[in-house]
Amino acid sequence: MTTKPREPRIPVAYMLVIGSLIFFAAALLSPRDSIAVSPQSSSQDEEGSDVGIAVEHAATVSNCVSCHAMDDAGRMTRISYERKTPEGWQQTIRRMVLLNDVELEPDVARDIVRYLADEHGLAPEEARPGFFEAERRVIDYDYEDDDTEVLCIQCHSMGRVITQRRTKEEWELLVAMHRGYYPLVDTQGNPGFRRRGPPSSDGDGPSDSRHPMEKAIDHLAATYPLETDEWTAWSANRRAPRLGGRWGIAGHSAFSGPMYGFVDVTPVEGSEGEFTTEATLTNVRSGEATTRTGSANVYTGFQWRGRSTDPGEGDSMREVMFIERDWRRMSGRWFTGAYDEIGLDVTLYRADGPLITGVYPVALRTGAEMEELTIYGINLPTDVQPADIDFGPRVVVTEIIDAGADAIRLRASVATDAAIGKRDLFVGAAARPEALVVFDTVDAVRVTPQAGMARVGGVVAPKQFAQFEAIGVSNGPDGEPGTDDDLDLGALDVTWSLEEYSATFDDDDIDFVGELGADGLFTPALDGPNPGRSGNRNNVGDVWAVATYESEELGRPLRGRALLIVTVPLYLNMRGWEPGR
Amino acid sequence: MKHLQPINQKAGKIEHYLEHDVVALSGQPRGYTVPQQPDSPHIPMGCSLVFSPGWEVDRSGGTAGLCQPVERDLFDCHLGCFWPAHVPDQLNHSPDWTSKCAAAQKDWRSLDIIFP
Repeated sequence: MTTKPREPRIPVAYMLVIGSLIFFAAALLSPRDSIAVSPQSSSQDEEGSDVGIAVEHAATVSNCVSCHAMDDAGRMTRISYERKTPEGWQQTIRRMVLLNDVELEPDVARDIVRYLADEHGLAPEEARPGFFEAERRVIDYDYEDDDTEVLCIQCHSMGRVITQRRTKEEWELLVAMHRGYYPLVDTQGNPGFRRRGPPSSDGDGPSDSRHPMEKAIDHLAATYPLETDEWTAWSANRRAPRLGGRWGIAGHSAFSGPMYGFVDVTPVEGSEGEFTTEATLTNVRSGEATTRTGSANVYTGFQWRGRSTDPGEGDSMREVMFIERDWRRMSGRWFTGAYDEIGLDVTLYRADGPLITGVYPVALRTGAEMEELTIYGINLPTDVQPADIDFGPRVVVTEIIDAGADAIRLRASVATDAAIGKRDLFVGAAARPEALVVFDTVDAVRVTPQAGMARVGGVVAPKQFAQFEAIGVSNGPDGEPGTDDDLDLGALDVTWSLEEYSATFDDDDIDFVGELGADGLFTPALDGPNPGRSGNRNNVGDVWAVATYESEELGRPLRGRALLIVTVPLYLNMRGWEPGR
Repeated sequence: MKHLQPINQKAGKIEHYLEHDVVALSGQPRGYTVPQQPDSPHIPMGCSLVFSPGWEVDRSGGTAGLCQPVERDLFDCHLGCFWPAHVPDQLNHSPDWTSKCAAAQKDWRSLDIIFP
C-alpha cells in the first residue's frame, strides 16, 4: 500500500483554527471538558500502573515507532493500550495511511494486522456479542446503555464500539479523535457530544452534570477495559487452530434457499492459521451443485476471515466465521454484493465420521404418505436400510430411493395422529437434533426479513438489493399463534406483490421504488433526482412486501408482509481491502 | 366514523385517509405499532434514527421525512461533515470531492463514491 501524492489542502488551516477554538473554548467553559488529548500521554506513566501490552513485532515497531513512542517495557503509546478485531486494526491502519501519510506495502500491512489482531485482540467471549459487525449482518441491536448507544449510533453501528477494549485514557482519546476529525459532533445530533443546556435533573436527586461524551467514556471504560479475565485466559491458551480436513456445511440464504455440502480445508505449509479451501455446495431446491475455491486466515485462534470464488461464475464471497473452542464447529456468514447484502448463513461441522447436515424438505405434514425427502450429510452409510433411519414415533421411512455417502433419498409416511413438533434424526451413528418438523396445518406466512432495506442505485451508486422469503408457520402444539412453540416450516411457494405503506397523505412510493420479482427479490429503481416525481424526489419510499399463499386446507389465501425501506445510497464506503484477502 | 358524515372537502379527505391506513395518522413517531411489526422502528446496521431527518430513515423509521432529493443537501453534509459515515467529509478524507460537480442537483452524475 502506498499513499498517493497529496495535494495541498486548504481546509487544514480551517480545521486547525476551528479545532483550536473548540478546545480552547471547551477548556474555558468547563474544567470537566479537559479530556486528555496529549498524543504521547500514556497509561504507563501512572504511578504503580503496569497495564499495557508490549509490542514484540519488528514490522509493527519499525513502521509505527516514529509517532508511537516505545517505553522500556516495550509498550508503545496508543497501540499497547487497545485491543480490537482484525477489522478494527485494519480500520486503524487505513486511517494512518489516509490521514497521517503512513506508507505501507500491502503484505506488511497484512502482517501488522495479523500480529495486532492476535496479540492485541479479543477473547472469544468478548468477540461473540459484536460478531454481527464483522459478519456485516443487518440486525436489530439494542444496546444496554442508552446514553452511550444514542451517542454512537447516530453515525455508525454499535458493533464497532463493543468489539474494542481500551484503558480509560484510550476511550478518552478515541472521543477526542472524533471531536478533532469531526468538530460538529459536539453540537450536531440529539444529543451531541456536549450537553447544550443545563444538566437535567431526575426528581429529587442531584443532577448529573456530565456531558453525554463523559457519560459514554465512563460507561465504556467500566464495561470494556483493556485488561479482562477473559483475555488473560485466552492469551494463555491461544494457539493456531488445526482445522485441516473435511467439514460438512449447512447453509441457508434467502437468495438460494438451503444449501448443503462439504468443505475441504487444507493448511498452507509453513504457515500458522492459513488455509486453502475447496467447497462443494448443492442447492437443494434446484439440485444444482457448485464448487468454490478460496483461502482464509484465522486470527486470534478463532476468527476465520476468508474469500472464496466460484471458478465458473467468478463471483467472490467474503467468509467470516467464528470457530468454537473444540475446533469441531464454525459458523458465520459468507457474503457479497455492493453493500454485503447478499449472504449465506453457514455452519460447518467437522466430518471425521458419519455426519448429517440437514434434510429437505424440513417439514412433513401429519398424514403424509410416501413423501420424498432427502437427508444430506458426509460419510453417510451407503448400505442403509429403512429401519436404520429414525425420525421418532409415528414417522416411518418406507423406502430408500437412493443412498449415497453425501445424500440419502427416501420416502417417508407420517401417521395422521402423529404428535406435531420437532424431531431428532438418527442415521446409524449420526444424529441431527431437531432435523425435521411434523405439523398439521400452515397457519400463517411470515415474511423474512420483517424489515428489509434496499438502496436506489445504478447510475452513480450501486443498487442494494433486498431478498424476501416467505416462511410457513404452524401454531404448534398449543394451537395459539405467536407463542414459543410455533413451528418454522421452511420456505413456501407464494405470489409476491408490493403494497403502499402509507406514511403520508397521497403516498405514491409504490410507483417509483422498484420491482419485486416472482422470486421475492426486490430490485430498487435508479438513483438521482427523479424529474417525474413531485419535488424531484429520489425513488425512495416505504412499501410492504406482501406474500400470498394459496392454502388448500383453509380454502382461502394466507398473507404475510414485511416492511421494505427503499432509501438513499451511501457516498462513502469504508470497505476496501479486508483481512483474509 | 360511520355515524358522522363529512360536510366539507377537508372532512371528506380525512375520512378517505382513515380508510386507507395512513401511518402518520395512526400513532406516535416512535414506538408506533403496525400489524406484524416490532413496536419500535427497525435500526438496520449503519442506520441513523436519531437526527431528524436521518440518513437512511427519519425518526419514524420511514423515508418520508428525509432530505429530498438527497442531492439537494449533499454538499452541506460534505462541507460540515454532518454525515461522516455516509458522505465523504471535506475536512479530512475527501477535500476535493466536489471539484467535478459544482451543483449536485444538476451534476450529480459526476459524483464519485469514495472508497477511502
